[in-house]
Amino acid sequence: MNPVREHLVTLLTEKFEAPPGSIHDDAALGDLDLDSLARVELVFSLQDHWGVPLDDDRDSTGDVTVGRLVDRIETLLAQSAQEPDRSE
Amino acid sequence: MSTAHPPLAVTGIGLVTPAGHGAGPTWRGVLGAVGTAAPDPALTGLPVVLSCRVPEDSATQAGERRSWQLDRATRFALAAAREAVADAGLDPARWDGARVAVVLGSAAGGVGSYEHAAERLRTLGPAAVSPAALPAFLPNMAAGRIAIEFGTTGPVMHTATACASGATAIHTAALLLRTGACDVALAGGTDAMITPVCVSGFARMKALSRNTDPTRASRPFDADRDGFVIGEGAGFLVLERLADAASRRAAPRALLVGAGTAADAFHPVAPHPDARGLEQAVRLALAEAGAGLGDVDHINAHGTSTPLNDSAEARLIHRLFARRPPSVTSAKGVLGHTMGAAGAIEAALTVLTVQHRLVPGTAGFALPDWDTGGIDLVLDGPRRQRLRLALSTSAGFGGHNTALAFAPAGPSPD
Repeated sequence: MNPVREHLVTLLTEKFEAPPGSIHDDAALGDLDLDSLARVELVFSLQDHWGVPLDDDRDSTGDVTVGRLVDRIETLLAQSAQEPDRSE
Repeated sequence: MSTAHPPLAVTGIGLVTPAGHGAGPTWRGVLGAVGTAAPDPALTGLPVVLSCRVPEDSATQAGERRSWQLDRATRFALAAAREAVADAGLDPARWDGARVAVVLGSAAGGVGSYEHAAERLRTLGPAAVSPAALPAFLPNMAAGRIAIEFGTTGPVMHTATACASGATAIHTAALLLRTGACDVALAGGTDAMITPVCVSGFARMKALSRNTDPTRASRPFDADRDGFVIGEGAGFLVLERLADAASRRAAPRALLVGAGTAADAFHPVAPHPDARGLEQAVRLALAEAGAGLGDVDHINAHGTSTPLNDSAEARLIHRLFARRPPSVTSAKGVLGHTMGAAGAIEAALTVLTVQHRLVPGTAGFALPDWDTGGIDLVLDGPRRQRLRLALSTSAGFGGHNTALAFAPAGPSPD
């Protein structure tokens, strides 16, 4: 399993108490019993962990799937790896 | 003794304190009179090193549903409320939730969550503030969470009178029961204020003990007391009208026979030197109980271990009860000062004292001073005592004072 998916699954099961058996790439966050507050908190936690700029609105709707979140984070991580570090 | 108001039944208690999770461990800890103060790594760099923390426990920490939304104070409150409801033999799945009230006091609500969010805002910007920040820190949220868990749709509210908050909650719950606004009241206090801002602020105003000896830092009424040791926790009482408790065959642990509240209207943080608000609260509670000063056998004092509080409180007790001095104890020698939880925790301990006719000793105390030498402080180990009426007194910043009067549930021992 890749580290992004592994972290997301751990977060969903341990912090948000989603049933482990129901977590797969096509599962929507709304179907995992995450209400709107929990979905924004999930995006917040992922941003915190990976240091990538997810979108509070677009990435936290009820129809966002596990697979799409993994793709989004991996894409953003790849982008930030290519870009020169502008923080210095 | 005739009563001016019908007494209320205390049918359940629940406690989460530095002495342990539950009323049993807390009662044993307080009877053992061994302080819970310990060096606290979280206070590194702050002006004091000791605190009285609730021990970590998987049952109240990790196992909580949606724990990411809950401040530490809310977790304590939920655990104490669950124990109190179970102790009362009540089943929230079967009660009429519209007739159940939740009144919960705390001095600072989810202040730890607030400080965490503020720190992230300052260092990382607004995107780093959790969407759970407000539901975690708003002070009413612990009461709201309890209502959600137990399906209580009656009066649900928060009381804030600083370190008297838990006692004010019990008084308010008694008023709700007496007006018929509810049939069952869950009344308690909670706080988790061992935080950088709270500890620094208390230290800056010289309210905290600078003593680094864990066995001597919290020493209510002692001549060398130099401030309180900050603690945390929660306490709950289940209150019902006597007839309602009797109709479901619930045996009360004790009776709440009176409650009184009065303000000093004197100084933002210093107690009135003659404790005039506390005196008025005591007199009101006794009037409600239909009792006189001579009926008071025991006082579970506020006794914070600060120079000013303990002097004013001891002088008041000596002045009011000189003819027939009641025994006095302070649980803060063992538990530290649990802030807004203290009034509710100590009310529950007073219930147990009345029920078991056993007065705990005051940990940390060695020698009295001029003011505190005038009271009958229980020192070494528990004292067996015939108790007709016991008071629990609380006071808080802002000049808030509350006195609660408890009596045995069984036939009077005299």
